[in-house]
Amino acid sequence: MGLDYAAVKKEVRKRMTAETIVSLIRILVFPGAMFLFALAFFYEWVDRKFFARLQNRYGPLHTGPHGILQPLADFLKLLSKEDITPHASDRLVFALAPVFYLALPLTTLFVIPVLDPTSFIAFEGDLVFVLFAFTLIIITVFLAGWSSINRFSTIGSMRAVLQMLGYEIPMGLVAFGPAIAANSLSISRIVEWQSLHFWLILLQPLGFAIFTVCLLAELQFVPFDIPEAETEIVAGWRTEFSGRKLALLRLGKDLELVLASALIASLYLGGPQQFWLIPPIVIFLVKTTFAVMLLSLLRAVFARFRIDQMLSGMWKYLLPLATLQIILIQAGLGG
Amino acid sequence: MSHGSIIKVPFGPQHPALKEPENFLFEVDGEIVVDVKPRLGYNHRGIEKAFELRTYIQNIYLAERICGICSDAHTTCYTQAIEELLSVEPPPRARYIRVVIAELERIHSHALWVGIAAHEIGFDTLFMYVWRDRETVLDLFEMISGNRIHYAMNTIGGVRRDISAAMVPKIIKGLDFLEERLKYYLNVVQTEQTILKRTAGVGILKPKDAVNLCAVGPTLRASGVSNDVRADDPYAAYDEIPFNVITHSGCDILSRTLVRCEEMLESIKIIRYALDSMPEGIIRVQVPKKVPQGEVVSRIEAPRGELIHYAKSNGTTKPERYKVRSPTLANIPALCKMLLSGYVADIPIVLAGIDPCFACMDRMAFVDIKQNKKWVWTMQQLRRKYAKE
Repeated sequence: MGLDYAAVKKEVRKRMTAETIVSLIRILVFPGAMFLFALAFFYEWVDRKFFARLQNRYGPLHTGPHGILQPLADFLKLLSKEDITPHASDRLVFALAPVFYLALPLTTLFVIPVLDPTSFIAFEGDLVFVLFAFTLIIITVFLAGWSSINRFSTIGSMRAVLQMLGYEIPMGLVAFGPAIAANSLSISRIVEWQSLHFWLILLQPLGFAIFTVCLLAELQFVPFDIPEAETEIVAGWRTEFSGRKLALLRLGKDLELVLASALIASLYLGGPQQFWLIPPIVIFLVKTTFAVMLLSLLRAVFARFRIDQMLSGMWKYLLPLATLQIILIQAGLGG
Repeated sequence: MSHGSIIKVPFGPQHPALKEPENFLFEVDGEIVVDVKPRLGYNHRGIEKAFELRTYIQNIYLAERICGICSDAHTTCYTQAIEELLSVEPPPRARYIRVVIAELERIHSHALWVGIAAHEIGFDTLFMYVWRDRETVLDLFEMISGNRIHYAMNTIGGVRRDISAAMVPKIIKGLDFLEERLKYYLNVVQTEQTILKRTAGVGILKPKDAVNLCAVGPTLRASGVSNDVRADDPYAAYDEIPFNVITHSGCDILSRTLVRCEEMLESIKIIRYALDSMPEGIIRVQVPKKVPQGEVVSRIEAPRGELIHYAKSNGTTKPERYKVRSPTLANIPALCKMLLSGYVADIPIVLAGIDPCFACMDRMAFVDIKQNKKWVWTMQQLRRKYAKE
């Protein structure tokens, strides 16, 4: 064997270090976890501030300029608070649910293009993966509520699952609209197609509207905050969580908001495109901020539905409309 | 659609939908309420006993503190009762000032209710907007009386402060702003689909049930029964002021909302008329400290409904017995009727629908049902009992 082991080793180490460090940085720092956490806190602030201004309130003011650091401060404070596990609860599930609730949207965000039109992990069918992750989030919610063995949590988690039965099918249907247009189930390809043709919001406005409504339900925003309706069931499925677990749940919710706005941006608003001299990341941030503000606006102008009204509305109106959108695309309109 | 199993769901004494502690035990079949058992008494404050220990003048301030929201209603009712015992008539100007304060209070109480109702159905934006505009009334109160909530305007024999000529344009200006906003909210309540979905046909109280169960105030008027102490048994200056009794025949939460919104607009008209035609003169007459022996029942229309005070005097400076029947207590049987066969998700808004004020309502009595006995414990006995335990 005439191989020079030392040389091979050196070469491998050289390549490995460079590549590993780059990909580690990409996963952990930018555009990975750290960046996404920062974005999550920022969008929580945008949502809170915009929502407050719509209600003629000030919103967060004291921590940081215009209260921009308030979500971070809330998070840190919750981390230091007492973490109570109810005696009757299913301890393992109760402890794991917040971790999953945080990890799921975080992982899913990696398949969405942020820096440039191609996402960090892109494969044919990642759109289906995202929809699947949305379902998994609700199942985590169900487990979280169910494992706390609390009257309010149980009702909340059952409502969450019932609600999913309402919005998931129309959401899945319209999400395939962009895929049909771009002829691909990959989000990166859909973004690429939009940069060559039109933004899909112009071609499929109906699909965009339905998708936004379904995301409101997914995020449990008014008028679909039925699983955590404060005046009816306290904090719903989150009632028993405190301290660190609650902090993780809140961060998970913020990441879900980032995920929802990023999905709107990439499926319907063209995602991160290069525009003149402005880098794609800036375009991405502008579009997602717009999406967050749209979601906050919608949650400010309605009262909460009852669960039966929500379900019947989804099946009576949204599902036929979603089908109509797909038929329109097949008929050559909007694709 | 019975599932065979009935679950008991306690609601309160600590619950986000209840601003004050009170307990309701619901028997629920699936999502439908089949039985309600209210349990009152969490907020007992011994107010009636306290009345007997204080002089008539001190009791004005105690009556003011029966309720935070309808503080003026209670003092009006109290002073009216004592004035009748003394056979004293308050001067005409004082009677008009009482009307102005009572109607301003009605606006402030009803606006508060609209905000809370919006919050109960998850419409926080409406809640914030209504409460922002309600500040106008509170500012007017601050200008007139120096206080935002406990105005301390009434006294036996008249009122304590005058409404000066300089205040009138400011009140009119505030009312103009409020009228415009209230018309807008009335429109929102009637047209916003999500509000209609949550309020129309919810918490039905048929006119016959409303009368049989002795409902009062906006709850009764929303069932189409025209009943208002201001019109039926005028007090203060209501006999000289023209106004309409607002009724709606929807019998549901939507009607209760509309009755309250339109009553606020009616109140604005009443205040304008009262300010316009307010007679000149003194605002109070001197009254003796000792009240001659006698019994009296006084009733007025508080924002929440008919309020009844009963006083028994024995010729000293302190009442012998005092009794307050607040409108919330009168509405509890009707409330239980409304909740029956409704959805669990509708419990908060139906509960809020009567505009409950549990703190004003709670009384206590020592009863032994088995031996059919009722008794009163003195402070010493209570102290002795709890010192032992």
